[in-house]
Amino acid sequence: MSHRFDHPSSHRSPVPAAPNAAPSAGSDAPAGNGAAGMEEILKRETRSSRAVASIIAAVLVIAMCVYALLETAVRAIGQPPWLVDPETAAEQVAALPNGVPPLLLGVMGAVLVMAGLFFFLTAVLPGRRARHLLRDRRAAVVVDDEVIASALARRARVAANLSQDQVMVTVSRQQVEVNVRPTSGVPLSPDAVRAAVRDELRDMGPSPLPEVRVSVAAAGVIGA
Amino acid sequence: MNGTPRILNRILIGILGLKLLAIGILLLLLAAVPAVGRWWQGWSAGVWRIWRDLFERTRFPGRADSWLWIVVVLALLLVIGVMVAWIAQQGKGRANLLVVEEDPGEVPGNVRIGSGVAEQGLRAALADRPDLAGVTVATYEFRGEPALKIRVQPRQGVDPQRLASEVSALVEALDVAIGKRTPVLIHIAAGARSRFGRAERVR
Repeated sequence: MSHRFDHPSSHRSPVPAAPNAAPSAGSDAPAGNGAAGMEEILKRETRSSRAVASIIAAVLVIAMCVYALLETAVRAIGQPPWLVDPETAAEQVAALPNGVPPLLLGVMGAVLVMAGLFFFLTAVLPGRRARHLLRDRRAAVVVDDEVIASALARRARVAANLSQDQVMVTVSRQQVEVNVRPTSGVPLSPDAVRAAVRDELRDMGPSPLPEVRVSVAAAGVIGA
Repeated sequence: MNGTPRILNRILIGILGLKLLAIGILLLLLAAVPAVGRWWQGWSAGVWRIWRDLFERTRFPGRADSWLWIVVVLALLLVIGVMVAWIAQQGKGRANLLVVEEDPGEVPGNVRIGSGVAEQGLRAALADRPDLAGVTVATYEFRGEPALKIRVQPRQGVDPQRLASEVSALVEALDVAIGKRTPVLIHIAAGARSRFGRAERVR
């Protein structure tokens, strides 16, 4: 999937004169090579770093190693084992379908497959966060989709003269869904809501720009 | 924009995931297919014999135990150390200085501006705004250069574009005060405080 960052980044366009541009190093100070790194920062900010999954994985591996270490150390100094002697464990594993009920074995296998899938998919999928980019003349800006949704909901609410509970907006990467429940007996034009939301979205200019879809519920709200 | 090693995270998580998948599938097959059970018993018995021979041959002279156990302990300790180092890599990269430069003036020496200047200045400038539920400013080192991350949590219904341009006006004022353009990231975030707080009605 293409993931473009056609963010008209200010750091390459001519620097707008800062307010009361100081004659000193103020506005003509070198931008440094951080300007080139801005795209990289934006790319990192819109993707998950997988730090949580990494920490879970590392803690799992550490727990297994600590247990193995305990049994091995006990074995190395010739003491009786804590839970199971490493050699006995290895023999049991080698004899496997025997000695363990098949149901238990199957459940253990299923749990391991689930955990493996979780880690593998976390590693392989793109891990996009629910964020959009905004253009700005000075800084790189990322916005959580929830913030965009609440701004659009406010606009739709004002445009259709509704209360806060009657509008629900969900924003995803490519689509904005506006769900409106009209007040009973008051006609509501979906086109007006769509135009208002689209207008607001165009002013906001998130990148990538999502499509707007408005759906009006068949049942109205009484006494709103 | 912190220094979390993302590619390393992906690789290590992927390796762990594949291993767990392989073991899980093997256990499922062992439980379900008898032919796999017979193959596994034959194969693993051979492997186990090789290892036992190895342990037999590496005994301490005159004692019943093998020194291979000590090697195993050391290897496990090494793996634990590597895992702890991996955890320590997550989210690192905070910087303490915003500017470190030689002063071109007549006085010898160089100029250092702590990151607290920008952080506290921006936080104080944004503190009184009624449309914000929270502000965090942090300095990170990105590719050997300090960069500012401004995280603002607006209340419900605030226009993010206008908020961004107002924050970046503050950043431009900061540029003038400090005399250097630092890379800045503005993150307009939603959080529990903005979600459950009252909606902004005035703006």
